[in-house]
Amino acid sequence: MEPPNLYPVKLYVYDLSKGLARRLSPIMLGKQLEGIWHTSIVVHKDEFYFGSGGISSCPPGGTLLGPPDSVVDVGSTEVTEELFQEYLSSLGESLFRREAYNIFENNCNTFTNEVAQFLTGRKIPSYITDLPSEILSTPFGQALRPFLDPIQIQPHGGSPIGRPNGQS
Amino acid sequence: MAEDEEGLTWTELSGHSSGMPADKNISSSVTRVIVKTAGKQEDFMIADDTSVRQFKEKLSTHFKCQMDQLVLVFMGRLLKDHDTLSQRGILDGHTIHLVIKSKRSSRSLAHSSRNLSTKEPCHQVRNTEGNTNGVYQPAGVSHTPLESALLVEPDAPKVHSQDLEVSGPEYIAQMLQNPSIQQLLSNTDLVRQFISEHPDMQQLMQQSPEVSYILDNSDILWQTLELARNLAMIQEIMQIQQPEQILEHPLNPQSHLGLETLPGGDNALGQSYVDCNDQMLNSSQDLFGGNPFPALLEGQVLQQLQSSPPSPPPPQERQDQLPQLPTTRVIYTSSHGLSSITSASVTPNKVNHTPSTHTTTISTKGPSPTCPIQQPARVPALPSIELTQQPQTEDIDATISLDSSDQKLEDDLQPSDEQTKSQITGSMMQLLLNNPYLAAQMMLFISMPQLSEQYRQQLPTFLQQTQLSDMLIALANPKASQAILQIEQGLQLLATEAPVLLPWVAPYLWGLGWLPAPSCSHPDTVPWAWDVPDIAEPKGPECCHKSGTGLQSLQSLAGDPSHLLQAPEIRFSQQMESLQAMGFGNHHANLQALIATEGDTSAAIRKLKRSHGF
Repeated sequence: MEPPNLYPVKLYVYDLSKGLARRLSPIMLGKQLEGIWHTSIVVHKDEFYFGSGGISSCPPGGTLLGPPDSVVDVGSTEVTEELFQEYLSSLGESLFRREAYNIFENNCNTFTNEVAQFLTGRKIPSYITDLPSEILSTPFGQALRPFLDPIQIQPHGGSPIGRPNGQS
Repeated sequence: MAEDEEGLTWTELSGHSSGMPADKNISSSVTRVIVKTAGKQEDFMIADDTSVRQFKEKLSTHFKCQMDQLVLVFMGRLLKDHDTLSQRGILDGHTIHLVIKSKRSSRSLAHSSRNLSTKEPCHQVRNTEGNTNGVYQPAGVSHTPLESALLVEPDAPKVHSQDLEVSGPEYIAQMLQNPSIQQLLSNTDLVRQFISEHPDMQQLMQQSPEVSYILDNSDILWQTLELARNLAMIQEIMQIQQPEQILEHPLNPQSHLGLETLPGGDNALGQSYVDCNDQMLNSSQDLFGGNPFPALLEGQVLQQLQSSPPSPPPPQERQDQLPQLPTTRVIYTSSHGLSSITSASVTPNKVNHTPSTHTTTISTKGPSPTCPIQQPARVPALPSIELTQQPQTEDIDATISLDSSDQKLEDDLQPSDEQTKSQITGSMMQLLLNNPYLAAQMMLFISMPQLSEQYRQQLPTFLQQTQLSDMLIALANPKASQAILQIEQGLQLLATEAPVLLPWVAPYLWGLGWLPAPSCSHPDTVPWAWDVPDIAEPKGPECCHKSGTGLQSLQSLAGDPSHLLQAPEIRFSQQMESLQAMGFGNHHANLQALIATEGDTSAAIRKLKRSHGF
């Protein structure tokens, strides 16, 4: 039988602070943070990410953030597009509903990590997933936590995913 | 024997697991695999040489679904039925991902794949074909592929990720340039059918029947399409409409303001009615004795408004506040004293009132003018509908204002030259200073809920209090920020090594404004914070442990203003004199001892004696 198709899986990494975190973090936090990372998974020529509006998708680099600051190659997958849509729908109804968004505990990077593991078995780089704990371990982060917690991040330019047969 | 054991359910296996390894020779050892599905995960104990098929049987009973609904994924590879788990390298503790397909989707996917071959230009649209083909058959046009391509546009918001490739603005632009599509668009019957058959439009028409009147007028439709094609016109109208909001809203109407239920977006349609009114008025000049446009002056408008009897007072008052297109107002005021607020402005409340007043006043006119007037009169209803959606777009607007400044700052950061970078960050800091509100939003890409107001108000005061402004300006110099980092690191080291020395660093920080300078400054003699050492001892180590920042610990030490005031020499002058009298000649050492003992002379003496080695 024919060999299965392999689809490349990439991780797009954006710095939401546009370089400000790199400059100001030593002063404000006491430790060096290279950026405030927002990530998305790009597979099947589409970009998928999780925000306060739930799981969304757009053409790669199609959010208002523009092109990514860096691209990480996660691997390749045999998962087809339909199957992936099914998977995302089930995630969108369980772990990644729109109201389940929390900037520290269940954010875009949590989603990306889950999806990357599903697609390739690999996790995303730890400097991204460790970011919330890095911030919260500083007194500044702890002090600002009540203000930061309700923040909802939703990059614009995408649209929410629907069920594969066109009904939402 | 081996097959029997493999055929056991997982519960039985787990019960037998302890007894098994002793009997078996090579393969059938039990492994524990984690099966992860849709946000939850469970452990399963299975034999090593279980085939995928058998595993699926187990899972189907456990998850209560059919076997063909199950798809297993391991390390990104789909597991085929004939493989065994050990063949795929699944060992103890590994995670297998499970997707349970819904029954509906497995059927519809088969259907959609058949349509796929016929739709070359828009191969991504396959899942919407089922809907659109059925809907548009009454149109009776045989350009099926083009139709479907065109219909992607109105379907764009409903459609999921696969269709986004086609629904992006550049694709719509491309499609519009296609001459056959333009030909289609010029056929007003077809377009009208397109629009009226669309379910969203039907909903719109139910909400407000006036919309259907609009659609019946082919002139208006044609103008709409002309307008939709001419971006410059849209921009101009938007500028006229919302001059004060220009900075907030991007001028590109095809961008993210889209609630794309109507072709070209709500705004385009809304603006088009403004234009349509003008066009219509031009075409019906003879009825009104000339183009009233020359009489656009607002004063005249208001005068005419006041002189018009049937118009109720409330619309007038609100009209005074309108910042928008005077032309549309004039249309109605010149037409025998009708008051109108027909421009598609962003004021939802009053617009709803006008249609009723219009119909009553119109009915007093002769029959022939009523027809053309009716339609414009009903125009305001449509903007009201689109405006009810405005609250939802507010979030988008807020983020758009963010985005435009986002873009600006992003552009600012583009050049990679170090010097220009510092200049740019300097200007960026200025921007932040001038708009602390912006600063709050710029740190993280935010669309904040109710807390935002509170936070924004607090941020300016926060910025002022911490004298962040000076600091930000200083940071414009990259060397300075590097230096500060070094200081920070040094302080941290000092804090861990010898916290008692922290107050001695204070003079160096006077210049940065972190700690207020004392009233009398003797930077060369001794640090000012005299009684702080004693306080520092119990407080310092705690501070240092809790706060990761050396500067912060210093600031906390300095937070208590009472210690700042008097220079040590003044405070301990009496004790100094007594020490001198006793024969302790070393002025400097005396002072230090007094600091350490908080002015206790006898303790200071003991200290001095110890240090002199008595």
